[in-house]
Formats: sequence, structure tokens, C-alpha cells
Amino acid sequence: MMIKRASIFFLLALLALMAIPPFALASDSGETEDFDALHHSANAYYLDFSPFGDIELPRFFVVQHADGGYSLELFRSTTSAIRNGHFTVEIAAADHGAEASEDSTSASSTEVLEEVGDAHNTAGEVTRAELEGHLLAPNGSHVVLDLSISRHLFFAWLSMLLILFLMTRMARMYKRGIGRVTAPKGLFQNFFETIIMFVRDEIARPNLGAKTDKYLPYLLTAFFFILVSNFLGLVPYGATATSSLMITTVLAVFTFVITQMGGTKDYWGHIFWPPGVPGFVKPILIPVEVMGIITKPIALAIRLFANMTAGHLVILSLIGFIFSFAKMFGPGVGYAVAPISVAFALFVYFLEILVSIIQAYVFTMLSALFISMAIQEHDHAHDDTHHGEHVSDHSETVGA
Amino acid sequence: MIVLAVDLLAPDAGLIIWVGITFLALLLLLKKFAWGPILSAMTTREETIHESLSQAERALAEAKQLQSDNSKARREAEVQSQAILREARDEAERIRTEEVDKTRVQIKQLQDSAQAEIEREKENALNSLRNEVADLAIRAAEKILRENLDADRQKKIVDNFLSDLSKN
Repeated sequence: MMIKRASIFFLLALLALMAIPPFALASDSGETEDFDALHHSANAYYLDFSPFGDIELPRFFVVQHADGGYSLELFRSTTSAIRNGHFTVEIAAADHGAEASEDSTSASSTEVLEEVGDAHNTAGEVTRAELEGHLLAPNGSHVVLDLSISRHLFFAWLSMLLILFLMTRMARMYKRGIGRVTAPKGLFQNFFETIIMFVRDEIARPNLGAKTDKYLPYLLTAFFFILVSNFLGLVPYGATATSSLMITTVLAVFTFVITQMGGTKDYWGHIFWPPGVPGFVKPILIPVEVMGIITKPIALAIRLFANMTAGHLVILSLIGFIFSFAKMFGPGVGYAVAPISVAFALFVYFLEILVSIIQAYVFTMLSALFISMAIQEHDHAHDDTHHGEHVSDHSETVGA
Repeated sequence: MIVLAVDLLAPDAGLIIWVGITFLALLLLLKKFAWGPILSAMTTREETIHESLSQAERALAEAKQLQSDNSKARREAEVQSQAILREARDEAERIRTEEVDKTRVQIKQLQDSAQAEIEREKENALNSLRNEVADLAIRAAEKILRENLDADRQKKIVDNFLSDLSKN
């Protein structure tokens, strides 16, 4: 029994270890390089399969040339963009430490490449730092729009494709009559139907009531996209698309647009002519209300981003302890700290599984709530309870 | 560190455009090819289940009604059959009594007529016996006469004889 438990614990610990970026463990590149947990969570233009190597992602740029003309430049990889397109890596002025020197050396090497030209195509390796940095267009032209496929975008698309595949398969089963005229069959259909039913009955219906059907497709799509993206960040070599503020912002913007499109007269009335307050307060309240509609999606975006980033940072930091201790007090201490670090990392990993589900739920729930607040047709009884003073409301309105 | 923190939060128009377009595409595709069929199928199924349940409820109520009707009818039939049975029994009893009475009367009549017959036969027998006795007496008298006996003695003998006869 104990052996069985221990082996399960060991397996889970191994999984948790594999889920974190292996390059973090392979801190072998010299004494000057610091372990940096933020590295992993930040976006980059390659898929990390170390120790087997990286896969560079395509780079697409909309470039404005010196003469004012625009062009679309496509490269198979960052290496290709640097070597064939003569792009250079942008170097941040405030950079410090090993990365800065690495960046500068690599940048100078590309400059050398530029000077030498295409003859030197095979020379020099493109470093990780270059794969993570922004590229600058050569010869006085500049990048207007960087449409490159980044790691987060890749995993966002992966989760989209996964959802599309799974859900169209589900739809096919229903079209064949399984689940429509008969009971749903098999683990696959039952599993996903339970989730769909949960979103419909526990998230959408209590908030949206009769208008559930109109908003349910969006809520389901958002829920599944967030859920699958969150989970993709927990599998080995995966990355969390939802730990990108850009992606969570897009999701929040969708909720925002849908909310405003569904807004009733009462909703806009509440914002631009708040009832139940004295006339002179209204000019103060209007900006507050307008801020209110904007802060809601901002909160949505940041909540999801922060939650999904934080878990990974904590795991990475815990693993990082091993190397920090080893560096400070010698390898022996590092080995001693390792089991504790891994155990805590495992705990946080479990927490992340939980958070993945909870955040998908919270985002969808709040979206449904915001939409329901916008589509609500207010009646006077509601105003009464909402603003307390019904009588003063009327007298003030008349007075104003 | 500063640079990386910026990276984490840096605006990335390309990523926003890509994700915006593809998420919209995902939403529309799923709406058409997945959520539509799935949700409508689920609704259909729920309606079917709901319908079936209410139908079953109705059927059950109907069955209960039918059952109560049936049992009521049965009770009525039972009462009716018992009444019929009772009536039949009474009728049978009546017929039986009647028959018995009739038979009794008949027997009585038969008895009476048999009695009368017997009486008559007895009378006849007595009469014929008397005649026979008279004949016998006359023949006896003839015999006596032949033996020449005196008349008184003869008469006395005959009377004695006759009185003996009538005693018998």
C-alpha cells in the first residue's frame, strides 16, 4: 500500500516536473546566467522542446519601407528573418546581466552577417534571447505590424482546433440521433455533455433566463477555449495561451462588445442618466458609470491573465529554489531542498488544475452576469430596491 | 528583469488581431456546426422526456380513473348478482314449498281416495261375505233339514251361528 502510494506520488511529481519548462532545469550555461521564472511565462517565437531542441515559428511582418510603401514579409522562422531578411533583434536599453550581453553579442553577430551578406547563411546559431525579442526591419524601413506566430498564439490555435474537433464530433453524434432520441452514449459524449449542461444550467440560465439561447454559444465557446487553453499549459511542453494579457484582453473585448450590443434602454439610461440621485450628482455619476462598464472587462482580462501566470511563476520559483540554494550553499543543499521544492511544486500544480477550471467558470460566469445586467428590463419594483428612495427619486427627477 | 516584465505585459497588436479574428471564426464555426446541433438536440431530448413524463402521468391518471371505474362497476355487478342470486334462491324456495305443498295435497288426496277405496272394498267384501255366509247357512240348513231336526233347534243353531259370524 505504502509503496503504491509512493509510486503514484513519484509519477505525479514527474509529471509536474515535466510540465515546467525543461530549460529551467537545465541551468548549465555558465555561472553568470540567473534562473528567471518570468522567461517561461512570457511570449516567444519558438516551441520549447528541450532537451530535444526548439521549433522556430514563422514570422510575418507588415513592413513600411523608407519610401513610404508597405509590404508583407513572410519568413519560415526567426533565423530565416535574421539571415535572409536582414532583420535585427531589438535591444532594450535597460537590459542587464548575461542576457543583455548575450543579446548584444548576437545582435552584433547578425550585424556582421548583414555586412557579409547571404554567403554566411549557415554561420552562427540564433540564440533563445533572439527568439524571444522583437525584430527590427533593415534599411530604414520599420515593422508596422508583427503578425508572427508566437508561442501563445500557437497554443491558442491548438486549443481552438482541439475544441473544434471535439465539438464537431459531438455534434455529429447528436445529428445521428445519439443523445437526441436516445440517451447519450459513451464516456466522450457524457463527459462533454455534462460540461455543456453545466454551462447552460448553472452559468447561463440563472443569469440570462429567457435569453439564454442567444448568448449560450458565446459563453460555451469562451468557457471551452479558456478551459482547454488553461489545461494545455499544464501538459509537458505546453504553454498557457490564457497567460497572455493580449489573449485575455481579446476575450474580455468580446464580452464587452456583446454586453454593449445587448444593452437595453434601461441599461443606457442607468449609465447616462442615473436614476435615484439628486440632479447635481448625475454629472459626477455619469463618468463613474462609464468607467464601470470599462473596468468590468479590464478586470476580466487581468483576473484570467494573472491567475494563469501566477501559478506557473510559483511552480517555476519553487523549482528555482533548488538551483538558487545549490548556487548559494553548494550542490548538497540543492539536493536536500529538491524534494521539498518538488513536493510544493506538485501541490501548486494541483492547485493550478483547480484554478484552470475555476477561472474558466469565473470568466464565463461574470460574462453572463455582465450581459444579464445589460439586457435586463428594469421595472419600478427593482428600482425601488436598488436605489432605496423611490419617492425622492421622483421628486428630484421632477425638480431637475 | 525590467525588460521581461515589459514583455509579459507588452502590447502585441499582431497577437490581438490574430486571436480576435480566429476566436470570432471559432465562435461562428462552433455556433453553426457544434453548439447549434448539440443544444437543439439536447432541447429536443429534454422536451421528449418532458412530454413522455407528462404523457405517462396522464396515462397513469387515466388508468387510475379506469381502475376506479372498473372496481365501481364490479361492485355494482356484485351487488346486482347477489340480488339476482337472492331472488333466484327465494324463487326456488317458493317453488319448492309450492311443490311440496302440492305434493302433500296430492298425497293427501291419494290417501283419501285409497282410504275410500279400501272402505268400499271392505264394504264389498263384507257384503259378499254376508252373502256367502247366508249361502253357507242355507246349505247348512239344507243339511240339517236333511237330517230332520226340529225347527227350534235348527233356528237356534242358525242364530248362534250368525251371531258368531257377526262377532267375527
